[in-house]
Amino acid sequence: MNRNTSYSSHFEKAIIILLIIAFLLFILYPIAGLLLRSMTEGGEWTLYHYKDLFQAKNMELIRNSVFVATLSSVLATVLAFGIGLYAHFRKAGTRNFIYRALMMTMISPPFVSSIGLLTLFGRRGLISYGIFGATLNPYGWHGLVLLQSISGISLSAMFIMTGLSQLDSRLILASRDLGANPWETLRNVIFPAMIPTILSVLFLQFTMNISDFTTPIIIGGRFHVLATEAYLRVYAQANLNGAAAMTVLLLPPALIAFFFYRKNLQRTDTLSERSKLLDVDSINFKLPKIVTFISGTITVAFFILMAVQYGNLFIQAISRNVSGSLVFTTDHLNVFQSRHFDALLRTVYMAVVAGFLSTVFGILLSYYNKRRQIPGMQGVEFIGSLPYIIPGIFFGLAYIVVFHRGPIAMTGTLLILIINCIFRHISVGNKAANAAFENIDKKLEWASYDLGTSKLRTMLTVIFPLIRPTFLVSFINAFTACMTTVGPLMLLVSPKNLVLSVMMHGEVRNGQYGQAAVMGVALIMITFTVNLIAIYFMTGEEGKVQ
Amino acid sequence: MRNMKKILSLLLILLLIFSLVACRGTDVVKDDDGVVEISGEDEKEERPYEGTVLEVSVAYGGAENSFAQFTEETGIEIEWVSMSTGAKLSQLQAEEGETTTDVWFGGGVDSYINAIKLGYLHQYKSPGYANIDDKYIDPEGYYGALAIVPHGIIINDDLITELGLDVPETWQDLTDPQYRGEITMADPSISGGQYAIHSGLIQAMGEEDAWKFWEAIDKNVGFYGQSGGEPAQKVAEGEFAIGLTAITGGTFGLTETAPVTPVFLDKVPWIPAPIAIFENSKNKDAAKAFVDWYVSDHGQSILKDADARIMANRNVEPPEDLAAILDMDKLIDFDLIKMGSDRESTLARWAEITGE
Repeated sequence: MNRNTSYSSHFEKAIIILLIIAFLLFILYPIAGLLLRSMTEGGEWTLYHYKDLFQAKNMELIRNSVFVATLSSVLATVLAFGIGLYAHFRKAGTRNFIYRALMMTMISPPFVSSIGLLTLFGRRGLISYGIFGATLNPYGWHGLVLLQSISGISLSAMFIMTGLSQLDSRLILASRDLGANPWETLRNVIFPAMIPTILSVLFLQFTMNISDFTTPIIIGGRFHVLATEAYLRVYAQANLNGAAAMTVLLLPPALIAFFFYRKNLQRTDTLSERSKLLDVDSINFKLPKIVTFISGTITVAFFILMAVQYGNLFIQAISRNVSGSLVFTTDHLNVFQSRHFDALLRTVYMAVVAGFLSTVFGILLSYYNKRRQIPGMQGVEFIGSLPYIIPGIFFGLAYIVVFHRGPIAMTGTLLILIINCIFRHISVGNKAANAAFENIDKKLEWASYDLGTSKLRTMLTVIFPLIRPTFLVSFINAFTACMTTVGPLMLLVSPKNLVLSVMMHGEVRNGQYGQAAVMGVALIMITFTVNLIAIYFMTGEEGKVQ
Repeated sequence: MRNMKKILSLLLILLLIFSLVACRGTDVVKDDDGVVEISGEDEKEERPYEGTVLEVSVAYGGAENSFAQFTEETGIEIEWVSMSTGAKLSQLQAEEGETTTDVWFGGGVDSYINAIKLGYLHQYKSPGYANIDDKYIDPEGYYGALAIVPHGIIINDDLITELGLDVPETWQDLTDPQYRGEITMADPSISGGQYAIHSGLIQAMGEEDAWKFWEAIDKNVGFYGQSGGEPAQKVAEGEFAIGLTAITGGTFGLTETAPVTPVFLDKVPWIPAPIAIFENSKNKDAAKAFVDWYVSDHGQSILKDADARIMANRNVEPPEDLAAILDMDKLIDFDLIKMGSDRESTLARWAEITGE
């Protein structure tokens, strides 16, 4: 027994060390490499790109970025909380349907939502102009906030549903038994218990929005944000060093957000530590009528919007718009050649591997940091958040800078795409697990230790099964993101390791919306199928969320 | 849950359909290979690079439609990726020129000029350059030219009628107050094509008049796009009545699906679509064969069929629909070197005017 324990504790040390090495090698080293490159010009050290960094124009950009990211993430979180709450207190069938629908609407191939919404609400939008005859001007911060919030809702709502499903419904019963009305129960029991999840969602949304450069390009108009300006310096002006220097400005707000998140997460430690023993289905609890009404309206409105947006994409894939009238055609399908099929297979392979490993790493990180409080791991966790904070294209460039020669030369391979995807999305699994651990009773592990089980074994047999829903939601997110993100991969691809999302991005850029739509539909269907399979395996039965 | 199964099986069926479509694609390629092998027996001499794979970075819409023909004739296989020239140049800088790509195909000539300065391009004067006007190609032979991209405007006919606007005929017309808010153009600091319009008009109108013009048109511009292709798209979708744009085969493609018309104004700014070999290429001989083929009379006409443009090679007739509306004499006298060297000062002045 003793030898066994020491063997497994060595094994565990090895895991921790490997984890740390991986984070240093594949996150910190590339980012540091890129920043060092931005301090050289023609082979000489210079701070040329940094001397104007704090000029008024950049300060305005960073103000814009923080303003929009804050507003969008709060809005997305509030709306997602509404949807999550509504779904959670419905019958299991409705709940599962909403969960799956969210899983579907989370799949957002490049530009689909921005272009879809412009088609509907643009200056000559089908709804704004076609139905109401209004010429809206969507360009500006308001359009940007609207689009970012809407595109953040699906993921956030899934997180919140997962969080709610891990709540112990006995608390709700207890509250009702003590005479609290539904409103008080919601405010004093459900809401406080959800704070860790809400914080995680807010943090993820904030970092995603502040580094988002594609939405502002389409909808920002004369309103500029830092991520987009930095991206355009790379993309249009090929000013790699100046752009890399600019991204440094994104670090302070991200650091502040990170500390805000950590601090509040810790404060809630004692509030919500309990284990879940009772399902929501076994209790009879109804939300206050007004809450049901508002959250129901949000849910319905959101899904109508999504249905129109995705319907629009499907129609574009099989039609042509000839002088204002739709003509159905299969022409666009013909563009799907063997080249695309190879890319599609490659994309699926990459996303499955990266999605799985990213989730495992993210949860391990959370376990060792949040659960076991191993010193120094908090720093590692911040490193793990970095790839989400800097705009995707720079995480791609950073890999090119350090991995194009030397012992780990791997540019132009599929491996570099996989590794990049793994580390880019670690933050999601990590934050989801942080929230989940808040609601799992530590006494379970202590009991396990007392019975002589090693820490490693406890982790595998006690902890991991308890956070299966978290594993699922973060796999689905990481996989979906790998299938559809373009930013970091855009410059990492070569003809030999092309992935479908990047090809689709190219078609959109060339104005081939029909062909882009075909790829978008293919991406959506396959991503959705794989997600369903994941649910099937993870839940061990046909598709019950909990 | 039975519904779930139905949805799943439907998805699987759709997947199968996709794979069938894809398989059909493969079959065609295989058939082509078969044909090539039969006829290839006695052509071995002319096919020294049979089986070599060239990696090509493409910024030339529609060019991919010509690659199969090239492979069939030479046995050189093409693997390509579509990437804007600005992005490619950033990538090259990040990997210090050590790219696996062999050939750079089309895009903005200013990126090529910068790449020469950084030593990323290989010097090669193809014999075919003899048929190309000197002003389109690099004097040192670092890049050649595939085509000429003329710039003008695209108008939405429906909107012009609906808003009661006149169809503009000169650049000066665009400053008329009747177009307020109805014009869109790309940000010239982002779009190489839009920068060419700026620089071209400055060279053609003279500094002072040109700047007065840009100042006046700023009042009419409702939206500055973030890529060269955006204005034409927005006009096609009916968001704006007039867009400043490059006019290529793709622009004429838009006329089939939207009520739009490309129009050339009194002066026609242009840029060449260049072609170059990377210094780091491991297949320089095959790459040279590729360049030779694409600037030859034969290759140029194949490329013209793939995307209708005015080809750089003077032996190739311009495409009919372009020739019908473009008077070649309106092409401005354009100094590309000056365009490259004035970039920073021009863009700085433009930023001052617009506050972009």
